Amino acid sequence: MENKSFIEIKEIQKFYPHKDGKLFHRPGEERKKVKAVDGVNLSINRGEILGIIGESGCGKSTLGRVLVRLEDPTSGDVFIDGVSTKEMLKTDPKAFCRQVQIIFQNPFDTFTPRDTILKIMLRPLKHHNIGKNYEERLEIIKKALEAGGLRPAEDIMSRYPHELSGGQLQRLSIIRSMFLNPGFIIADEPVSMLDVSVRAEIINMLIDLAQNHNAAVVFISHDIALTRYISDNIAVMYLGRIVEYGSADEVIKNPQHPYTRVLISNCASVDPFEQREEISIEGEPPTPINPGPGCYFAPRCYMADEECFRSYPGCTLLGGSHYATCHKLKHPSDEA
Amino acid sequence: MEHILVVKNLSVTYVNKNRRVMAVRDVSFDIDKGDSLGIVGESGSGKSTLAMALLRLHPDGTKITGEAFFEGKNLLTISNEEMNDIRWTKIAVVFQKAMNSLSAVHRISEQIEDIYRVHCPQTSSEEIKKRALELLKLVNLPDRVYRLYPHEMSGGMLQRVAIAISLLHSPQLLIFDEATTALDVVTQGQILREIVEMEKTLSTTRIMITHDMSVVATTCNKVAVMYAGELMEFGLVKDVLTHPHHPYTQGLQGSFPSLKGENNILTSIPGFLPDLSKECKGCVFAPRCSHATERCFMEKPPMISVGETGGAACWLCEGEKYGK
Repeated sequence: MENKSFIEIKEIQKFYPHKDGKLFHRPGEERKKVKAVDGVNLSINRGEILGIIGESGCGKSTLGRVLVRLEDPTSGDVFIDGVSTKEMLKTDPKAFCRQVQIIFQNPFDTFTPRDTILKIMLRPLKHHNIGKNYEERLEIIKKALEAGGLRPAEDIMSRYPHELSGGQLQRLSIIRSMFLNPGFIIADEPVSMLDVSVRAEIINMLIDLAQNHNAAVVFISHDIALTRYISDNIAVMYLGRIVEYGSADEVIKNPQHPYTRVLISNCASVDPFEQREEISIEGEPPTPINPGPGCYFAPRCYMADEECFRSYPGCTLLGGSHYATCHKLKHPSDEA
Repeated sequence: MEHILVVKNLSVTYVNKNRRVMAVRDVSFDIDKGDSLGIVGESGSGKSTLAMALLRLHPDGTKITGEAFFEGKNLLTISNEEMNDIRWTKIAVVFQKAMNSLSAVHRISEQIEDIYRVHCPQTSSEEIKKRALELLKLVNLPDRVYRLYPHEMSGGMLQRVAIAISLLHSPQLLIFDEATTALDVVTQGQILREIVEMEKTLSTTRIMITHDMSVVATTCNKVAVMYAGELMEFGLVKDVLTHPHHPYTQGLQGSFPSLKGENNILTSIPGFLPDLSKECKGCVFAPRCSHATERCFMEKPPMISVGETGGAACWLCEGEKYGK
């Protein structure tokens, strides 16, 4: 298949060895694996925001870390503009860093507490040889801070991270990642640590980033309403696999996979009059240690039957780009 | 309707070596029997401090003024012994981190027996077990939980245990302090539903402290909005969330996207929380308010009643010039 999209995520898998408490193992004994991410395929275009939602432990953060190569995937690869990131890292790691950036959840942990903001912001510029000399770099930082709404820039630059609020730090985090003009940005729960009244700024900043800088953004969150607001497309993850993918409105308003339905029916809404179908499911998400062979969601699913426990369902296309993996879904053309 | 709790001019000041932080300032409200009141606000708005003050769980040296009448007794002036009698039998609280509020080295059964015997020392183990299993069933937990240790359970189960424990002595007033914040969407949704369901059979009164408007929208009938230690607006959920009068409430509402409705542009409130150790002359929200006039900086607005039951502390609501 030709790479049509800007970012192609292909069959990414990330397994961790399961700690079973044993110090020694028999030779040849098969070790259990924790399948944090189990074969994820996604594609993202320039200027598109892809939201990834799921419960904690579903592997969404691991996927984010694999995408920026903070973790090496067990198998699979990510292609940026048709170039394998694996190759990119071997030949020119700096080029990879210029292309891919991440924004972390906790802005208070992102910055070195002992350096001033100026020093922190200068570092990536120096490292990637942006700007000829100190004065020029200073000018770049000043402009960026002011464009990001951090005024007066001189005052902010002379401060230490602990003197700034979480919202300001998170903005700095985004500004810093923008210095290198990356094409691919991963935002891992960027607003869950922030107060509601400043959340909107960060969200609108990310939207602006995708639209005006033509970057592909992956927005990882457990907040469904927020993800729907920011994203063009949404992928729902469960135990390391994508169970449903489609345009944001399509997934939220017309969820097809039973897990997506459960997620949405349990999401509290600000509208006190909103009608909701109430679906409850048993138990908590199990740990992804050797799940299967059937559908991973089957043990908790309210629609599951024998077939669901036998084999993992394939993709069912539901029109457009919307697809879900569930045995109970029939292809629209099958019904006709 | 009978008021179960009447709070009048409550102020809480944390006294430190070199500064005094006025965490709650001059808050007055009342709750009717059977009501569910949601207290929303950002972090640092004093909502948790308010709850701690009502239960007298604040650290030593904290200065509290005002009155809080519960069943005719002023919670802030009664003796410690009397307060001990009220805690858990009349007023119970569920904290955010149930994993931390339960002892890790004792079985759930031991902890429940412990708490039960503080107030009813003569009860036999069988009787307590019967009561406990009843409550565990109420929060949808299997009987085997009674014999487990906290580390054998997930966060959602522990939170349910904490809720069950708070109900041991059938309190009249339950306070949930961010009780579902640390949980996953699905678990939170289920627990919230259980809480509402539970109330139908128990007829308790509930205070729900949270930063999440949507939690209040789904589980409460009244709401109080706090900012920088002061009460900004109160009223029925269906009035306040659909037609907020106070600019702060409007701002808060603008920063929550709707799940299925129109995708309105999210707005944020510019600026930061004020320094709570300084005295504030006018309205505390004025520096961040887009509607602020000179008067707002000079005079503190009183609670002006809007609609039938609501109220908002904002000069703009005077004479209903605004908000409709």
